[in-house]
Amino acid sequence: MALPNPALSQVPTGYKYGWHDAEKPLHIFKKGLNAEIVAEISRIKGEPKWMTDMRLKAYRHFEARPMPTWGGDMSGIDFQDIFYYVTGTDKAVQSWDDVPDYIRRTYDRLGIPEAEKKYLAGVGGQYDSEVVYHNIREDLEKQGVIFLGTDQALKEHEEIFREYFGTIIPANDNKLAALNTAVWSGGSFIYVPPGVHVELPLQAYFRINTENMGQFERTLIIADEGSSVHYVEGCTAPTYSTASLHSAVVEIIVKKGARVRYTTIQNWSHNVYNLVTKRAVAYEDAVMEWVDGNLGSHLTMKYPSIYLLGERAHGEVLSIAFAGDGQHQDAGGKVIHAAPNTTSLITSKSISKGTGRTSYRGLVKVYPGCAKSKSTVRCDALILSDEARSDTYPYMEIDEEDVTIGHEATVSKVGSEQLFYLMSRGLSEAEASAMIVNGFIEPIVKELPMEYAVEMNRLIQLQMEGAVG
Amino acid sequence: MAPSGFATGLRASDVSPGTVRVVELDGRSLCVGLTEDGEWGAIDNVCTHDGGVLGEGELDGDLVECPRHGGRFDLFSGRVRALPPVVPVKAYRVTLDGDEVVVELP
Amino acid sequence: MSVQAPAAAIDAAAIAAISERLGEPDWLRDRRAAWWARAEATPWPTGLEEEWRRTSLTELPRDAALALDPPSLRFALDPDLAAAGVVFSDLREAVREHPELVQRHLGETTTLTSHAHFWALAQAAWTGGTFLYVPAGVTVDRPLIAHLSQPAGATAYLPLSLVVAERGSSVTLLEEISSPDGEASWFGGIADVRIGPEARVRYANLQLLGDGAWHIGAQRVEVAQDAEVTTLNAEIGSSVTKLGLDLRMVGTGGTSRLLGLLAAGDKQHIDINSVQDLAASHTTSDLLYLSALYDEARAAFYGVTKVRSEAKGTSSYQECRNLLLSPNAGAEPIPVLEIETNDIVRCGHGATAGAIDPIQRFYAQSRGLSADEAEIMIVRGFFEQVVAQIHSEPIRERVLDALAGRIGSDAEAAA
Repeated sequence: MALPNPALSQVPTGYKYGWHDAEKPLHIFKKGLNAEIVAEISRIKGEPKWMTDMRLKAYRHFEARPMPTWGGDMSGIDFQDIFYYVTGTDKAVQSWDDVPDYIRRTYDRLGIPEAEKKYLAGVGGQYDSEVVYHNIREDLEKQGVIFLGTDQALKEHEEIFREYFGTIIPANDNKLAALNTAVWSGGSFIYVPPGVHVELPLQAYFRINTENMGQFERTLIIADEGSSVHYVEGCTAPTYSTASLHSAVVEIIVKKGARVRYTTIQNWSHNVYNLVTKRAVAYEDAVMEWVDGNLGSHLTMKYPSIYLLGERAHGEVLSIAFAGDGQHQDAGGKVIHAAPNTTSLITSKSISKGTGRTSYRGLVKVYPGCAKSKSTVRCDALILSDEARSDTYPYMEIDEEDVTIGHEATVSKVGSEQLFYLMSRGLSEAEASAMIVNGFIEPIVKELPMEYAVEMNRLIQLQMEGAVG
Repeated sequence: MAPSGFATGLRASDVSPGTVRVVELDGRSLCVGLTEDGEWGAIDNVCTHDGGVLGEGELDGDLVECPRHGGRFDLFSGRVRALPPVVPVKAYRVTLDGDEVVVELP
Repeated sequence: MSVQAPAAAIDAAAIAAISERLGEPDWLRDRRAAWWARAEATPWPTGLEEEWRRTSLTELPRDAALALDPPSLRFALDPDLAAAGVVFSDLREAVREHPELVQRHLGETTTLTSHAHFWALAQAAWTGGTFLYVPAGVTVDRPLIAHLSQPAGATAYLPLSLVVAERGSSVTLLEEISSPDGEASWFGGIADVRIGPEARVRYANLQLLGDGAWHIGAQRVEVAQDAEVTTLNAEIGSSVTKLGLDLRMVGTGGTSRLLGLLAAGDKQHIDINSVQDLAASHTTSDLLYLSALYDEARAAFYGVTKVRSEAKGTSSYQECRNLLLSPNAGAEPIPVLEIETNDIVRCGHGATAGAIDPIQRFYAQSRGLSADEAEIMIVRGFFEQVVAQIHSEPIRERVLDALAGRIGSDAEAAA
């Protein structure tokens, strides 16, 4: 199926306007990938040799590994047709007029402020949260919390960075992880010292650097013993990206007694392939929660995972997937129980509409020796139209006897009686459907920070009205 | 020859520093390695994650990297240093008897 | 006494020789040859396929000599039924006595990709199997029972069972498959069950193969308009079982129930993959597979419920529950849904794995039962959900009896 064609060419603005940084060799602005480009990316960033070596080795793995044969249809990805390193200003969309219609309409309907619209669409300029961001940073520094862009973190905190980087998701874990390890740029680095509780959710949104829109973000979060932090990325409003491949890697370490929640709401424009590897390890008495909302992109393949490595660790994955016309959300979660008395909960709610397709793909694995562990997986799918499709692929590998493992799934449509009842109360069919769909996803939406929840509900309403996308 | 050791059939001079090899010994499959620092170690050859052959992987410092998904094990203790494996592998002491590489099996 | 073919001699010549020995008509000889060509053209599973990832075939005794002359099945059939046109005999005998019936119904049906090679092989090289034909409107009250016994020795035995129930008919068939304990052997029996409009069929397969047996079985069940089928597979024996279940709801209003009971111990490996293909509107398909796993046994289940876009108003549920009764037992239940329409009445699945609830155990033991007795009672209670759905009493008794061997009997526990 042909993807919507971003209106503009991918020539960086700098080049078009004749601006050109004499230090940067021109060849970096070509498409395609090879070892020289990988080395050049590292050189431009001024990285230590070990990181350069790691990137080059990862590139070798990327070349050698075949693409996965399962999941969505990735035949539309041409790895040589991508810019692998573009600086912030180059990424900017030429003009507001080039932003696809459906995105502009959604912004209007959602009432997004002017400046924010431009920021989300990547249309030059900077979002004026600069001041807010600085204040937050000061507070955090006082507590000893490190919250930086990943590039900066590598420079300023090399030791701790090196200790953990690539230990949760090694380069050779899968082809896309290898690609990310080779060309990563941007992302967040967070370290929370023992016993520190970060009250305010940390948001990537507030970081000015435009690597927010990054194709190959690399995030590393370390919550030391007894600490807690909530990290939020993305937003419900559609995010326009000219880059068609987004392949991020997120590694999280939750130490003894610590607690981390990582919330993502993704609503990439419909030209994007969003293939992400996210994995966390939770030690004794630790809690890890992934809240994952997949609304956009042409194809998303994402299975946030939790390895429960210490006794009484607990992991949760709350996942919402919405697939409209031509979209395929292939998402879910994986939990690996590797210690006794560990517990996990995976809740997935998916909605497919028009010709959309949602697939839940998950794994619960229990190693021998993990006595008294419990896991519950609950997947519910709502199919809103006759041409939509829903799949469920729940894998289970249970090698310990003294456990309680359960999985339940249902697939349903909007009940005609339900609809009739609501419509008889004066709601239009679209309004009634929206209400039912919002009710369906309510258990997960209520876990989102409020402004996201509100936007999510409004977005569903717009989708149901067929007013957008 | 060490009292409880098994000759691997490997000659120390044949193994480059910073590499690992597969050795079949006494019904066991082992991954034997020589670090850049000149130390010998051996661990079980099968990765506990998905059955990858560790002896066909790479040696990075003291860590053996599984060729299948990049999991890492310490060559001397067998402990996991990078996911996706979570279960450690057994490690064995290695000594040299002249040029002969010898592994002590229990 | 049965005659074995020389080892590794399943080839076009051997297939032709089978036909020759049995004095088969040309149409059958040609059919076998065509299926053999298909078998050759269909690849052996590599182990990378989703359905084969959990079971390796490297130890399957591929060179086992083909049992060319397994004992003929002797069936007792009520003369009234025979007079009404019911045929219940060994398939070889049916070819001789009712050639036109067999020729008409021994069709070209293919099955799941996972078992395609084995289906084609059995269609080419079958020796023996059950033929059951029930004419329109005829009801067979008493359950019919067929025993398919594999001759002793390292043999390969591929019986083909064909069941045809014409419009409005009703019949219950139990096939018991067995082989002696001891050497490695290969049982590759297939069953092709066709249920005509408004017919009702109950098909049960009780697997009691020997402890060295490799069971690569396939069942294909096709359900026409407003017809009804219940199948039951009780897996108790074998060293390794890989069973493929292909259920096709092709007529509107049809209903199906797929029941399974697995009781495995030692180092048994039981792997079942199923497809419930709802291809017609207003059809129902429910699956319930229960397993009790002891010692180092392992059960894998990969079941796909597929609701096609043209099948409106369907109702389906898939449930797989595993009771783990020892630290080294393991289970991998994977219920998959592929739903292509939103016009569904009901659709879901559930899977569980775990030990007996300690409270249940405590309760049973506090009633004076020993630990062993309590466990047996609880496992029997666990299986009751399926057992209660076996309407035919003789079959139910037979299944319970067979299960007792694996889960223990009250008498044993009390001893």
